[in-house]
Amino acid sequence: MGDKAYPVTDDLESLEMTLERVRAAQRVLAGYEQAGVDRIFTAAAKAANRARIPLAMMAVEETGMGVMEDKVIKNHYAAEYVHNAYRNTITCGVIEENVAAGYKKIAQPMGLIAAVIPTTNPTSTVIFKILICLKTRNGIVISPHPRAKLSSVAAAKILLEAAVAAGAPQDIIGWIDKPSLELTSKVMSEADLILATGGPGMVKAAYSSGKPALGVGSGNVPVIIDESADLLLAVNSIVLSKTFDNGMICASEQAVIALESVYQEVKREFIKRGCYVFKAEELDRARQTIMVNGAVSAAIVGQKAVKIAGMAGILVPEETKILIGEVEKVDLSEEFAHEKLSPVLALYRATDFEEALEKAQRLVEDGGLGHTASLYLDAANQREKIERFTQKLRTCRILVNTPSSHGGIGDLYNFKLSPSLTLGCGTWGGNGVSENVGVKHLLNYKIVAERRENMLWFRTPSKVYMKRGSLEVALEELVNVLGKKRIFCVTDSFLYKNGHLKPLLDKLEALKVDREVFFEVEPDPTLASAQAGAARLKAFEPEAIVALGGGSAMDAAKIMWLLYERPEVDFLDLAMRFMDIRKRVFTYPKLGKKALFMAVPTTAGTGSEVTPFAVITDQTTGLKYPLADYELMPEIAVVDADLQMSAPPGLTAASGIDAAVHSLEAYASMLATPYTDALALGALELIFEHLPAAYQLGAKAPLAREKMADAATMAGMAFANAFLGICHSLAHKLGAFFHLPHGLANALLINRVMKFNASERPTKMGAFPQYGQPMALSSYARLARKLGWGGSSPEESFNNLLSRLDALKAQIGIKASIAEYGIKEDHFMAKIDGMSLAAFDDQCTGANPRYPLVAEIKAIYLEAYYGKGE
Amino acid sequence: MTDRIILTRREHKSIERQGDLVYKIFDNHFPTSDVLNEALNQARVWESGLSIPKVIEIKRSEESLTIVMEYLEGQPLDKIMDENPQEAGPLMNRLVDIQLESQSRTVRLLNPMKEKMIRQISEAPLDPTIRYDLHTRVEAMPRRFKLCHGDFNPSNVLIKSDGGYAILDWSHATQGDPAAEAARTYLLFKLLEQNDRAEAYLETYCLKAGLKRNEVNKWLPIVAGCQTLKGDQREKEFLMRWVNVFDFE
Repeated sequence: MGDKAYPVTDDLESLEMTLERVRAAQRVLAGYEQAGVDRIFTAAAKAANRARIPLAMMAVEETGMGVMEDKVIKNHYAAEYVHNAYRNTITCGVIEENVAAGYKKIAQPMGLIAAVIPTTNPTSTVIFKILICLKTRNGIVISPHPRAKLSSVAAAKILLEAAVAAGAPQDIIGWIDKPSLELTSKVMSEADLILATGGPGMVKAAYSSGKPALGVGSGNVPVIIDESADLLLAVNSIVLSKTFDNGMICASEQAVIALESVYQEVKREFIKRGCYVFKAEELDRARQTIMVNGAVSAAIVGQKAVKIAGMAGILVPEETKILIGEVEKVDLSEEFAHEKLSPVLALYRATDFEEALEKAQRLVEDGGLGHTASLYLDAANQREKIERFTQKLRTCRILVNTPSSHGGIGDLYNFKLSPSLTLGCGTWGGNGVSENVGVKHLLNYKIVAERRENMLWFRTPSKVYMKRGSLEVALEELVNVLGKKRIFCVTDSFLYKNGHLKPLLDKLEALKVDREVFFEVEPDPTLASAQAGAARLKAFEPEAIVALGGGSAMDAAKIMWLLYERPEVDFLDLAMRFMDIRKRVFTYPKLGKKALFMAVPTTAGTGSEVTPFAVITDQTTGLKYPLADYELMPEIAVVDADLQMSAPPGLTAASGIDAAVHSLEAYASMLATPYTDALALGALELIFEHLPAAYQLGAKAPLAREKMADAATMAGMAFANAFLGICHSLAHKLGAFFHLPHGLANALLINRVMKFNASERPTKMGAFPQYGQPMALSSYARLARKLGWGGSSPEESFNNLLSRLDALKAQIGIKASIAEYGIKEDHFMAKIDGMSLAAFDDQCTGANPRYPLVAEIKAIYLEAYYGKGE
Repeated sequence: MTDRIILTRREHKSIERQGDLVYKIFDNHFPTSDVLNEALNQARVWESGLSIPKVIEIKRSEESLTIVMEYLEGQPLDKIMDENPQEAGPLMNRLVDIQLESQSRTVRLLNPMKEKMIRQISEAPLDPTIRYDLHTRVEAMPRRFKLCHGDFNPSNVLIKSDGGYAILDWSHATQGDPAAEAARTYLLFKLLEQNDRAEAYLETYCLKAGLKRNEVNKWLPIVAGCQTLKGDQREKEFLMRWVNVFDFE
């Protein structure tokens, strides 16, 4: 095994050829399927396993460091545990798939991996890195340390031969025979990824090579022995771990911090198990021997305790396991406080657990950030100490009651920690990974993401009562079936003073419930009045709120409800703009725990009785907060046309046309669904048929009133779920800037907005997964045809719809331009830029089928002002 | 015309003074490029405004190249230190202040220190494994670009009678990490077996420069490795102990 002749790589020229050969082989391996890869992986692991003893002997002989028998364990571990951990891992092709979600994750090799190998583990690290590269279909070039080049290269050859025999391409593994910084740098700069294990010097060189690198950090592992610890287990675990390979493992214990109360016992146990504690007068000589200018003397690395003591002129028994220095200082001026890479240990005493933590922290911060820390205690009863230890120390591995050399590399004393010989130390240790490095770090993942439509839902009050006289029935049920005995009514002063509340109050009287009325809602309801209402709610503590009125009363009541249920909420949070109502940053509080909300509209238009929206004005700033969340959806809506009979013509016209615009915008919205389309279409049919009569005849046309009441609520359901568009964006700001009634503002803008949306070549189309191409024209045309207005082309149908809309507006007395409503030209022009920008940022803009530029909004405003373009 | 006085004579070069000029004469053992480089370094550093001898001209003859520079009056600081042991503290402060002042400058056209170190290590009489480790260490050290004298020690610092100072001998000047230069100064004291001065120096330097000792320590194996190009057997043994340290793995 491993005796085949290979081309020698000892200069730049030969290295370039090696790199080319490995690259070519990797391109072939990249085409292998999982079964073939697994055969190669297993064959290489077997070969490494078989060669574990000769490789260990070779490493010790070549480097003069470490313990042969322990290196056998490391080789064995690298072969068996790494193979076992990944034997069933899928590393080729599709590793994750969700057909319904259109999501697929595909594992791909990275290409050429540069593997920098340390002298401390010259064969086991080679085995580990080659195995994870083969499993991931990567080529690998081994860059050994000159002190251990023969053993590292021998290990590489053994794995290569086994891999090739199992079907791997000929040159899938390469190596440098005669390492130099120049060649190592070349491999690193040519590779796709660097797996750098070595000193910080090498790791830094890897990071500065310009290629992605997975490095490791240096360790300076502190161990706290708490007074609750099983001392026998603790000391003997540390002895096992610290003597392992003569202390050369980077996760090996460097300093034991024993609590005062157990200190002597710990020390006695170390001595009993063959450790030597330096006498006070020997300490300085030991210090000078182990460290030179703050760095570990190369002479002691991986040497036996007796030899190191001898260098310091201290005679200790031949079989001494560990040399222990009882020292006090934890900073770097103390030689024992450093990482020593040999069976030399510092022993500290701590008066309590807090002091032990402080000491451990200092040791980690000075030399072992990100690596490993260890703690012995009664784990069953000292959870809080584990928690504090974990909190305090910035290491990526926190080991409890575990020999750290064995524990850190994983799968030996804890079976969830991945087996690895490359231990990431996170950014604390200057690394990109904080875990134990494994196959997942050697793969590129391709994510195949297919277009999917956004989930939508349809939400509406749990009950909608309709038909004239339904209020009475609804109230009976509210009281007798739902058991609500304390009822708070919200309305506006006009309705209250004109006796519109009488039927409601009479019925509540008859039902003998406690009731209270808030009738101070004004036309553009303010936060202040909502707060006043909320205070009354708080005092009265109702079980139900009945909002009776137009949009203002219902919106104000919604806000009162919110403030009553959740007084702590911040209005700026509630009003925060969102892109997707289901992904918004702020989560609305759950409403309805204290009181049920019932909405009773007295006009046919707003739809607020079935929508999750409410608009409130901050009286101090004049700002309008449009609130939107399904928590604001009433529980019950009562559509009783009897309450709408006496609405004046102007209000009937403005409300009715508002309902028409709700339907038109919901129909063209990018979030429209067949559910909302059916409601919008149904509403429009009723509006075109009944609005003129309702406007002209009022209470004398009770059927028209009833149909308009239904139409407004249906339109409300449509836009509660499909949302609106920029006609509302523009109308909101026009209304706010110039005090135009909302319905009128919409009426003045809708035709122009529809033309803007109907463009087959919009400047910017709206972005939404179910919106594939400009569709507004075809939507409007379909709507026109369904309404029975024909047309031999989409354009003609669309124009028919626009004409019908104009005719309807004329029938209900709506003028043709903003100017005709008495708004002065200079006033309008002074505000148009600010208004356009504000309209652009309106919450309704998001659902519009065409994404508007601010200048385009301004152009629409200008046309609407002068009544042009129709 | 005053007589020429020989100030120093080494195997292949001598330094002589005549009037207010100093002649640094190199025989043909020195490559022309080395001599020109030294003169160029010195001219560049002088142009930075630091108090050093100005280069006047370069002369060639059959058997030598000479850098002619201005003569600056003053007492070498090492001599002052030797003669005033009771003033050791203030004199050490002075030495460090002067070094820090020189290191506060940048002279962007000087040779980069790390490149020079890589070259020196490649040429040093060291085992290939040690060379590899030292090369790796140099690579990983921070890249800084401050003026570094390269042989900063009290014998190269003149204290003038008016209390001012001048720094001599810029043949080794580079741009690099001041901590590396501090490591070298510390090493130079150690090689002279002036252990007390070495410790006092490093302590003072770290304090004034706001450096941790650790940051200087990291350069010690490297400057020791470079230093093995010079020196005798006794020095080599000392240097090798500094070089032979293990990087954490």
